[in-house]
Amino acid sequence: MPVDNIQEEFGGEPVAAFSMSHPAVPALYIVLTLGLTMFSMQPVLIALSLAGGLAYGFATRGAAHTLGALRWQLPVILIIALVNPLFSASGSTELFRIGMRVVYLESMVYGLCMGGLFVASVLWFEAAASMLEYDKVLALLGNAAPVIALMISMCMRLIPQFLRRGRTVLAVQDAIDVPGRAPTDPVRSRLRASSVLMGWGMEDSLERADAMRSRGWGAATRRTTYARYRLGRSDVAALVELALFGAAAVAVAWTATTQYSFYPQLSVPAPWLGYAVYAAWMVLPCVLHAIDEKRFG
Amino acid sequence: MARLDRGPVSGAACGPDMPAIEVRSLSFAYPGADAAVLEGLDWSVPQGAFALLVGGTGSGKSTLLSLLKPEIAPAGERTGDARVLGENVADMDVRASAERVGYVFQDPENQIVCETVWHEMAFGLENLGVSRDEMRRRVAETSYFFGLEDWLHRDTDTLSGGRKQLLSLAAVLALRPRVLLLDEPTSQLDPVAEKNFLHALFRVNRELGCTVVVATHQPRPMLEYATCAYRIEGGRVCEVADIASLGHREELFSDEVSGWGASRRAKNGVFSSASGQLGSLDPRTGAPGAEKGLKSDKSGEFEAQILPQDDSGASSRAGGCRILPKMHAGPATTLAGSWFRYDRASGWVLRGLDAAFSAGAVHAVVGGNGCGKSTMLSVLAKTVKLQRGHMERGAGSAALLPQNPKALLVAETVRDELMEWASTCGYDEAAARERAASLGLSGLDGRHPYDLSGGQRQLLALAKLLLIGPELLLLDEPTKGLDLASRRIIACALRDHAKAGGTVIMATHDLDFAEQVADDIAMMFDGEIACMEPPTDFFADNVFYRA
Repeated sequence: MPVDNIQEEFGGEPVAAFSMSHPAVPALYIVLTLGLTMFSMQPVLIALSLAGGLAYGFATRGAAHTLGALRWQLPVILIIALVNPLFSASGSTELFRIGMRVVYLESMVYGLCMGGLFVASVLWFEAAASMLEYDKVLALLGNAAPVIALMISMCMRLIPQFLRRGRTVLAVQDAIDVPGRAPTDPVRSRLRASSVLMGWGMEDSLERADAMRSRGWGAATRRTTYARYRLGRSDVAALVELALFGAAAVAVAWTATTQYSFYPQLSVPAPWLGYAVYAAWMVLPCVLHAIDEKRFG
Repeated sequence: MARLDRGPVSGAACGPDMPAIEVRSLSFAYPGADAAVLEGLDWSVPQGAFALLVGGTGSGKSTLLSLLKPEIAPAGERTGDARVLGENVADMDVRASAERVGYVFQDPENQIVCETVWHEMAFGLENLGVSRDEMRRRVAETSYFFGLEDWLHRDTDTLSGGRKQLLSLAAVLALRPRVLLLDEPTSQLDPVAEKNFLHALFRVNRELGCTVVVATHQPRPMLEYATCAYRIEGGRVCEVADIASLGHREELFSDEVSGWGASRRAKNGVFSSASGQLGSLDPRTGAPGAEKGLKSDKSGEFEAQILPQDDSGASSRAGGCRILPKMHAGPATTLAGSWFRYDRASGWVLRGLDAAFSAGAVHAVVGGNGCGKSTMLSVLAKTVKLQRGHMERGAGSAALLPQNPKALLVAETVRDELMEWASTCGYDEAAARERAASLGLSGLDGRHPYDLSGGQRQLLALAKLLLIGPELLLLDEPTKGLDLASRRIIACALRDHAKAGGTVIMATHDLDFAEQVADDIAMMFDGEIACMEPPTDFFADNVFYRA
């Protein structure tokens, strides 16, 4: 590929972590990370996950974008922290009273953790979208469900076409400018547009069906799927390593979460080596990204 | 890529002398139709040929081609025998047919199934259950052959029509068919894309040894590639002995009127005579007489009124400026210093464009894909607003004919379609019937708009717009994919509209049509009007961009 094409395609776009691996590798990482984040109701683990998610956001999407998102994420954490005590009046350290309701420190911290967990999950979902682009999901899905993978691909093809045509139909309606003609009622004009689109789409689908059949649709009992990714030896090795690392992180999360309690009194987390394992897991994509960046200068 | 004709052949034995397509006394009638479309048809195409199958709309070209692909053959009564490479078509299953006979359809939009280019290339291979490694190899080599590796990861929806059609060809070729059937494959493309496509097709034919059959009603651009041609007429096929004879330009206005048509030629002759002396096979130079006389008798009177009476040396210039102020010319529609872009991130589509379109005339706007023609029409139609500059519409009313007439069709029958705006725009059924008749649509009242031919559909959409009486008529590619009969009707309708004082502005790739119908031609380039001249001067001064 000529150099200018590489720049055209990747110019400005940061390389996502695991971009050189088979999609199964980022998929495993994402599934484990989302699971760990959503089921670990423990302040330290939540803080680590949040930090990891934020760091990856900074690395791949830039500071402006990530900080911009914090503008709604921080208020969400605060709101949950303030609202939770109103619904669950448990705990032992009374902070103040609103009318007849007692607000306890424990339930406010619980709310804070809930908010942090929610935002951390959002951040990791965003990371997932950058690590597992649509065609990678399709490649993973294609092995198991080739027809569903094709249906998704067809929908993705037809939706933009449908929207574009809808705009054309409305524009043609709007372009009709005759004095004395009553201005078109927006609801009616949309209804008309949808019926135009319906006829148009149905008519086209006949031809598309012919085009599919003429290229052998239904010839084989089982379709195969073209995949741009090969599961190589290094991918298998990465999967095994990730699985082991992930098992350790799960063990840490399990231990830390079961030992921690919010009520009746907050337990105080003690320094523990397990947290380092968990932190390492959460910061892994960021490290991989840094290595990539360094490699490409 | 290996030559397809040297590959192993499964199925019937197949020597080099065996015809690629052999049809014997084939008859076919659609269910419920009075007459058969094909009747006792005999046809044989040799292997390795680049064959043209010409014939008018409704002559049965598409029917004949689709009868060679059993899985898309229409339902109906059929007798006779059709063989492809010696194998009876009736015995082919879906797999055999997909592997041996490729089929490319007319519309680039409708035959693309998948979202990305690489997935589309692999679609047929996936259907046949080809293994992953084999698929990789075939997609790779086909991509290289067509040079589409640079856009392999693009979404198919974002491709231009020409690239879509090239992709359709590549996706079919990935299955390595020995015979390729194409039904009007370039009718929806602009001239540059058409040449690209035909060149790719030519390489498929000569380099891969694939037999190619193209059904078309516009054979002119394909003549230099064709090795043989057949005409389908009255349900039978006969070979056209003199292929070059298919290349004469069809005149839109049939009756001879001496005057500016001839003088126009005289000026154009600078180029055509030069190539004629070189013994060029350019079919246009072969029939200079046929190029005269561009106006119908209807507009003869109009001609006489506005043409300078003396046919002196200056006539070619004057001939272009046919719109004189004494014609009931309303105020012009103008664009001044127009700037437009779709959003902040994208580039300017219109860059300080200035233009004036006089009333009582037909204006053609030509230019490559993405030069801003359609955007300018949208501005004139007031569906988008200029970011800077202003647009003044001289006309009191306007309507826009979109590229695809389907965007206008909503009713169940042609009659209801024509009457859709009757009450809001104030016309009655008699007017609708008269308009339909003038556009050659009489007798189709009860038909569903989608059962009409492409040309009839376009005429129906035009009739619908003309009924509401717009002074300013905007048309986006009005002749795209149309046969001669429909183009003639549209040409007359546009001239009549201008004659009645209306303003007609059409964006078109059809230079032939623009030359014969328009009063002036504007070439758009880089968001501006590069030049705007009467057709005579326009084509006389252009070296590369010619009808």
